[in-house]
Amino acid sequence: MKMTNKKLSMENQAINEMLCRAEDINAEPYQSPTDPEVTIHRTVCTISHCACGILAHMKDGRLIKVEGDPDFPQNEGAMCPKGLSMVPATYHPDRIIYPMKQMGERGSDNWQRISWDEALDTICGKIQEALDKDGPLSIAYSFCDGFRGNELAGFGIMKAIGSPNVCGTDAHYCFRPQANADMTTFGDGNFITSEKCQGGPEFENSKVIMTWGANPFECHMTRGKELIKSLKEGGKLIVVDPRFTNLAAKADIWLQPRPSTDGALAMGMVNYAIENNLYDREFVEKYCSGFNELKERAREYPLKKVSEITWVPEELIKQATIMWMTTKPGSMTTRMGMNMHTNAMQSLRATNCLLALSGNIDIRGGNVLAIPIDDRPYVPFFKMEAQSRLDTETMAKAPGVKERPMYYGKNAQIYARSHPPAYHDMLLTGKPHKIRVYICVNDPVGAMQDTKKIRNAIKNVPFVVKSDLWMSPTSRYADIVLPAANQFERDEVHTEFYTGYIRAVAKVKEPEGECKDEKWIFLNIAKRLGLDMPYPMDSVREFHNHILEDTGLDFEKAKKKLLIPVPYRYKKYEQPGYKFPTKSGKIELYSNRFEEFGYDPLPFYEEIKPEASEKKLANYPLVLISGARTGLFYHSYGRQLEWLRELFPWPTIEIHPETAKKYGIAAGDWVYVETPQRSGRVKLKADVTYGIDPRVVHCRAHWWYPERKNDPERGLTDSNINAVLSHNPPYDPISGSTIVRGGKCKITRVPDEEVGEEFKKWR
Amino acid sequence: MTQITLLVDTEYCTGCHSCEVACKAENNLPGGYNWINVLQVGPRKIGGKLKTDYIPVRCRHCAQPPCLDSCPVKAISKESDGRVVINQDICIGCMNCVEACPFGAVAFDPGTGLASICDLGKEGPVAAGQEPACVRACPSKCIYFGEINEIAGIIREKAARRIAGY
Repeated sequence: MKMTNKKLSMENQAINEMLCRAEDINAEPYQSPTDPEVTIHRTVCTISHCACGILAHMKDGRLIKVEGDPDFPQNEGAMCPKGLSMVPATYHPDRIIYPMKQMGERGSDNWQRISWDEALDTICGKIQEALDKDGPLSIAYSFCDGFRGNELAGFGIMKAIGSPNVCGTDAHYCFRPQANADMTTFGDGNFITSEKCQGGPEFENSKVIMTWGANPFECHMTRGKELIKSLKEGGKLIVVDPRFTNLAAKADIWLQPRPSTDGALAMGMVNYAIENNLYDREFVEKYCSGFNELKERAREYPLKKVSEITWVPEELIKQATIMWMTTKPGSMTTRMGMNMHTNAMQSLRATNCLLALSGNIDIRGGNVLAIPIDDRPYVPFFKMEAQSRLDTETMAKAPGVKERPMYYGKNAQIYARSHPPAYHDMLLTGKPHKIRVYICVNDPVGAMQDTKKIRNAIKNVPFVVKSDLWMSPTSRYADIVLPAANQFERDEVHTEFYTGYIRAVAKVKEPEGECKDEKWIFLNIAKRLGLDMPYPMDSVREFHNHILEDTGLDFEKAKKKLLIPVPYRYKKYEQPGYKFPTKSGKIELYSNRFEEFGYDPLPFYEEIKPEASEKKLANYPLVLISGARTGLFYHSYGRQLEWLRELFPWPTIEIHPETAKKYGIAAGDWVYVETPQRSGRVKLKADVTYGIDPRVVHCRAHWWYPERKNDPERGLTDSNINAVLSHNPPYDPISGSTIVRGGKCKITRVPDEEVGEEFKKWR
Repeated sequence: MTQITLLVDTEYCTGCHSCEVACKAENNLPGGYNWINVLQVGPRKIGGKLKTDYIPVRCRHCAQPPCLDSCPVKAISKESDGRVVINQDICIGCMNCVEACPFGAVAFDPGTGLASICDLGKEGPVAAGQEPACVRACPSKCIYFGEINEIAGIIREKAARRIAGY
């Protein structure tokens, strides 16, 4: 450990110094300076990826307050509304605090409390029975995030069972397309436009920031905070977004493309930059391969044509390209706005090229590359993820791997193990594998498209076990729901994956009721079944010590540190012998990896693939985008928390005033939305705004109504736009992304008599 | 006269609502009202371009507080540090002050039936040498707390840099 410290300080970078400073802070609990009866614990928020440092105030065994930890480098005392609502969330009457068994039909909301012994006996009995009858392929497991001990424990149990049916149910969009495109262009490990992991966009030191389909203010508070620092220092901001977001409101240039045409826009900018010699010629000559091929391809995207495709005025494209290419340093981020349609991967490759041409790679205030894994002192996530992999042949049996062999399975550069639409098909149809037991720790029913289909798929699996904080939409269809300990109620080790540092935190309070750490649940299942886990897991403590092993610290020592840093440095490519971790050893504007798998090695744009016949689509005149986040909720999380809900009480549909007028819709009216993807309709409240194009509407997603205690489904399909979006083809050919943004819809005003009392009052 | 207060550099407010919920958590306020409310104005068209502002509306601790004059039972006072304070023991919940405040910043608590306003963290964090909860939680660090002429210096500095073409 000492050696590592020395290594870091010798590199003498501001960020390393900051991390080392933070590392030296004693993270043990301390007495409140104002109230001797209050103990303050330094811990971490697990609601989102930000993993902010928080101070948890404890009095008489009770959590009384949470606030941001001013000493924690990521958030510096700042906190988002979700994190600030953790006291009411911890003690909320809707929390599940005992193991529950569903009596009668699943979904009937008829629950009975059972003991842990009964729960574990039943679960293990069902798993054993499935293994005996149909073997390991009859067990399935899904999760969402993947960077904490909890998820690694889940990977471990599936390895021990021998089943490849593991699915991050957001793997076909979320950040994995970015990560895959980035790593294709910049090399393995360098997912540098998506997350700030062991590198990434370094906003705070940028003079120009360009965002594509991204809004860190709502989705990634710590990144938003860094972005504001740049603006305060006079940094420029270019926002590419079909919506006039709060981020766009701060922009110097806002480009409002037609949804799903980002690829054309980026190629237009690439072409303009090359034709006008705006790009960083020296950087490109030294470190990029395939420039001439890209130049040739980009010629197909003259401004006039691009403007027609994207609806963005030529002049604005010019201005944005000049600003991006001539201001240094600059950083770029691309997010889910670019991923959720059939053009995901090639559009992202186009923005990758735009970034590479700017030369803003691995410099202070640019997009920083990851330290090569071999040069890092410890890589617990990558190490354990590798330990939890099955042999290649078995991994290839996971749903959707054969169809998309570059993106999923053994070639996946980022733990994408199954194609989610194929995975949910498997639960429903039994193909390719008949699933007998489904273990779920996320909320696919509440958070994914094709709500009804996924609900039916889960109901179709003979035995479903779910761990949860709340009776979430998915939990409602489980046989057994296990009460999960929340972030204050369990020891946890956060790996380096999303944050670039490792952090061990001890539990702050005893769990409510009989809540248990999910790792405890997994290891007890493993013990009862006599499974041979891929990592030491006799106890949670032993497991944590294993995660921390290479840092030279055990959990007891590690928890006293605010964080354990991973080194960070710039311009790695200037070191002798450095090769970008790609086939050519350079940044690949022309992708050898894509070529190898039979995909176009150069980025291109094509019109979004239609989700229905031309005749059918004619009845759906508006372009639909959906699911822009608000910082108040995390996917399906938070609708039951009054402090949050009162700030955003109803799901909204954003409609331009001209369009609203045309349909006779006034602000605040309820609106039916229908799509060609699925039958049925959902009801959202009109937000009439100039912030959207008249030809486009935007619907908020993941809505359900936890307050409707008399409805067993809690309004699951009433207002959630995902209930009328499908997991059906067309897909992005590489990632299998579905059409969530850029498809078609129609809207009608809900007649007053059809609104319903439950849509008038939530409190 | 000293005047402590909050000053918001609205140029950097993103409407994230952190200050509102931080205030709620610090002061344990019930649902239904906030002491600081971030309102979105826009998007509206100005000179062919769209503009949206986010305005945190809260008690300004006015030098000449209309609420104070409106209170029939003299429950509202102006303290020596400039704070406007509603004495909950005297307040009769008549809501005159709610009506009188030009910012709509006086909250009425339906539970207690009394009026309340931002206390600038006086009892809690400020007494402990910290800044108010809203200031600490703000991701943009655009809320400032202190003596008005001192914190206005932050805005002056920004203006100077802008004039100098920084």
